[in-house]
Amino acid sequence: MTRQDAKRILVVDDDRDICRNLQDILTDLGYRVDTAHDGLSGLELLRQRPYAVALLDLRMPGMDGLTLYRQIKQERAETVSVLVTAYATPDTAEEALAEGIWKVVAKPVEFRKLLELVGEALDQPLVLIVDDDQDLCRSLWDLFRDHGFRVCLAHDCRAAQERLEESTYRVVLIDLRIPGGDGRAVLEMVRQANPQARTILITGHRDEHDELIRRVVTEGTDAVCYKPFDVPELIKTVRRLARARQNGAEGSAE
Amino acid sequence: MEAELIAARYHELQSYVGWTAADAERIAAAAPLLEPFLPLLVEDFYAEIQRHADARKVITGGQAQIERLKGTLSQWIRELLAGKYDVAYVSRRWRVGWRHVEIGLDQVFTNAALSRLRTGLVRALQECWQGDAAGLQATVRSLNTLLDLDLAIIEDAYQAEYASRLQRSERLATLGQVAGGVAHELRNPLNVVQTSVYFLLNARNPTPEKIGEHLRRIERNVELADNVISSLSSFAKIPVPTLRSIAVEALVRAELEINAPGEGIAVTVDCPAGLPCALADGDQIRIALGNLIRNACDAMPQGGRLEILGRASDGAVELSVADTGIGIEPQNLARIMDPLFSTKARGLGLGLAMARSIVEKNQGSLRVASQPGRGSTFTIRLTAAPKEQAAT
Repeated sequence: MTRQDAKRILVVDDDRDICRNLQDILTDLGYRVDTAHDGLSGLELLRQRPYAVALLDLRMPGMDGLTLYRQIKQERAETVSVLVTAYATPDTAEEALAEGIWKVVAKPVEFRKLLELVGEALDQPLVLIVDDDQDLCRSLWDLFRDHGFRVCLAHDCRAAQERLEESTYRVVLIDLRIPGGDGRAVLEMVRQANPQARTILITGHRDEHDELIRRVVTEGTDAVCYKPFDVPELIKTVRRLARARQNGAEGSAE
Repeated sequence: MEAELIAARYHELQSYVGWTAADAERIAAAAPLLEPFLPLLVEDFYAEIQRHADARKVITGGQAQIERLKGTLSQWIRELLAGKYDVAYVSRRWRVGWRHVEIGLDQVFTNAALSRLRTGLVRALQECWQGDAAGLQATVRSLNTLLDLDLAIIEDAYQAEYASRLQRSERLATLGQVAGGVAHELRNPLNVVQTSVYFLLNARNPTPEKIGEHLRRIERNVELADNVISSLSSFAKIPVPTLRSIAVEALVRAELEINAPGEGIAVTVDCPAGLPCALADGDQIRIALGNLIRNACDAMPQGGRLEILGRASDGAVELSVADTGIGIEPQNLARIMDPLFSTKARGLGLGLAMARSIVEKNQGSLRVASQPGRGSTFTIRLTAAPKEQAAT
């Protein structure tokens, strides 16, 4: 099992010159950079490995940057995406941000600012949510993005396994009941593949699964959150656990 | 418009409707009789305006403005009846129409309002008339002619001003469109230049090869940016064509050598033996043809068939460029030859506009037929050269 480089950046632009330039500059700064000249090949690269940041040109032949982003969000929601455009109307910018694009940047790119953005994106703690409820995942995605986390999604055990093997997470939120296994199996995967990650068990079955929850807690989950969530409490917990890891502290860091 | 010109126009209208000095005298004589009725007519006029929402909404200054406008209207009627229709008079009339455009009062309200005033004035004249019926009839006729003249000059001003404003706003819209297209095409090379400069200034360990690579890249992109400006200005001034007898097949083959279609595109050229020469500027038609060929190839990113056919068609030579590419959506078909309209990710959107403009300057026409998903056919139609002229 090889963990992918956390500082990997994807550049998708049909202008080969700009791809090479971004690659030269970002490589010089120590990032790993891959480039693609159209949406489909960009997507191919993303399917092979996770990228922390994607810089996407808006206007490209075939698939435009925003359409590409919609696909990225489906398959690799954790990719923090920046849309680069030569001529954005306020409408396109607004639409892009509503879709989940992190920032819209105008060409010619102000490089210092772009580098700041890349740095900032890489500093955002990476969180994995393992839950088969896609609507809930989408809401949590919006919520956590809003609070400065990078959010990776897995809807079943297999996807969770893959995600856990390819990236390092600060916090993993695990639904007690998911297709292909249960929360305990995922908890075990985290322990194997991502031992430093802190875990939060999320469940809607406060009563009927009392016993299961008790066991999971005994087995070492860091927190339990019940659906429907007390949102401020959930954010507080995730933030606390993400920070706890960062400080290298064990147990509660309150 | 200049005051003298407006006055000349008014006098032309006067002679057209047969206005004479006698008419002016009749009006001047009736003026004192009508004077006592004026306040009532003005009151009635504004009461009517209050009843119409669209007319009312242009009065934004409340009662104070209405009082002011009543004064203006009284003045307008007095001038109308004063019998002096000089340059200053006509200028003031012209200004009414101009002002209506400015405040957004539709001309129909002026027409309706004048009709109401006309009825009021005629009724007043009938009430106070002391002379004979023939005199009354003549005065009413003069009054009607005078009002028609006023209405004509006001409407003329309205239309002139309206058209000029429309033209101005269209020019601004075009400018916006140009700005958008140019911005995109210029900012991409600028972006490359800027990032290369950033690399050259900030890279920690650039090798000499890397430095050379970035300098060449800057040079190339400056040239790209320059080409954008060149193609815009060459579109703006296509020279007058030199019409000669040209052999279209040779032209097609020469152009295909320069714009060689990429791999995966099968090319067929079919010009029947005995196809007449076309009467056109060969250099210009080649530019148009080149644009059509490049478009056809761009429409077939996965490859396909490019077919260029020549045929004679009563007195004309037609050259069609057909592809088996993505085709054009029906909603884009009408706009596809507009300058700066493009469905491609790159490019200013001048290719087809340029092709059409060239072909039309060469006294020909360019038409398109397309089926989305099946392909497009662009056809250049040119005048056939007379038989005895030898091909060059």
